[in-house]
Amino acid sequence: MPQVTRKCWLTFEGGHQNEPCLWKMTRAHPDVQFDIRQASVQKDIGIMAVLFDGEEDEVDAALQTLIDLGVKVDPVEGGSLVAG
Amino acid sequence: MSFVHALTCKECGAEYGIEPRTVCDNDFGPVEVAYDYDAMQGTVTRESIEAGPASLWRYKDLLPIEGEPRTGFNSGLTPLVKADRLAAELGVKELYIKDDSANHPTFSYKDRVVSIAITKAIEFGFDTVGCASTGNLAHSVAAHAAASGLRTFVMIPHDLEEGKMVGMSVFGPRVVRIKGNYDDVNRLCSQIADKYNWAIVNVNLRPFYTEGAKTHGFEIAEQMGWRLPRHTVVPVAGGTILPKVWKAYQEFIQLGLVEDNKPAMYAAQAEGCSPVVKAIEEGVDLFHPQKPNTIAKSIAIGNPADGYYVIKVIRDSGGWGASAEDSEIIEAIQLLARTEGIFTEPAGGTTLACAIKLIQQGRIPRDEPICVCITGNGLKTLEVMQGRFTETPVINAKMGEFDTLVKQIEEQTTESTPQTV
Repeated sequence: MPQVTRKCWLTFEGGHQNEPCLWKMTRAHPDVQFDIRQASVQKDIGIMAVLFDGEEDEVDAALQTLIDLGVKVDPVEGGSLVAG
Repeated sequence: MSFVHALTCKECGAEYGIEPRTVCDNDFGPVEVAYDYDAMQGTVTRESIEAGPASLWRYKDLLPIEGEPRTGFNSGLTPLVKADRLAAELGVKELYIKDDSANHPTFSYKDRVVSIAITKAIEFGFDTVGCASTGNLAHSVAAHAAASGLRTFVMIPHDLEEGKMVGMSVFGPRVVRIKGNYDDVNRLCSQIADKYNWAIVNVNLRPFYTEGAKTHGFEIAEQMGWRLPRHTVVPVAGGTILPKVWKAYQEFIQLGLVEDNKPAMYAAQAEGCSPVVKAIEEGVDLFHPQKPNTIAKSIAIGNPADGYYVIKVIRDSGGWGASAEDSEIIEAIQLLARTEGIFTEPAGGTTLACAIKLIQQGRIPRDEPICVCITGNGLKTLEVMQGRFTETPVINAKMGEFDTLVKQIEEQTTESTPQTV
């Protein structure tokens, strides 16, 4: 399985900014590395720039887990996402 | 000779070479073009600019191209109208309309950004260009690319108005209608640029493309006699033009071409798509993306790429924001038309409607120079005005019938303006 790197913007709204979504994702997908490059969190919204590394299937599944948790996942530039 | 120094990250300041790049590797912040302003001192002057061509390329030294321009030879240098009749109506002392509804060749401010992007695409060696568009950008890309002999793909929301479809199709691009709103189209274009290695002007050429918006601000300053308006009201869609007009003002100040009068910037959005204005009003830095619902489709971008930087500029400049209901947008279109003879699209109506609100709220004082930026032409969006005028009388070609009609009109004339609802 090919290794991939995905650069993503994660947007947390509707209360999800107060939930440990990334922790939940790592519990479900322990082999996916994530690296927070930038973050800004306010009362009712949070935005993170995150780099994900791992096997393609695992990374895509991890992103899908975040989407299922209510996180908006957008590519930083190019690249395909499971949400796309 | 180019004064371009590098691409720099707007967040961390990391520098990169001049290449088709949009974000920083470190923090994914957007990159923008940085110039060697020290080298410009004494070389880029009022005189050197005034000696340049009668187009936006008179500001070439402050634009990110290496060689000679490849398109846009008649773009820019649009009228700056001293709007005395409108000023009297609004009760303000000095009001200007920067009128990009008259821009060449496709009647919107997009001809500025596309002139730079297409020139840059050719410099980089791309053979195919494209864009994600709500209409005006597609028109401009299609026209400039046609004139440059480039293959063109324009991606648009599936429900774009028929008139706008014609306005782009006539230039011969491949038009792809995407099910979804502009934000969905933009997201797909990001993937297309990556996979096909095409120049999507507002995606992978964005740092260069956006620099073209500065020329709107340069022209305001030059046309006002090398001074700045104290207050500038700008529509916000993706968030390109407002920070770049601000950057233009700051560059002219830095080069000593205008006096620093602390210009304030104001954002205008339609109420049905106002994520940036909401954030300004709430005093927060981050905005909530919205699903657009407004007649002002050309600025209906619910997740503006540069929205964060619009908010920052508004704060730094001491400005503010306002939003307008669709009915207020229509009224403002008609007000501008009947006072100044300028027919703008709903984006322009939004800008004027918001300017009026900001004046009425006292956020913009009535006794200081104000500039309202009009970015598109009403002839492209006739459908929003249809059915809003009284029926036009039909008479026989007889003088007697005309005399009777004139008499009726004179009798009917009241305080309200004829032909308006």
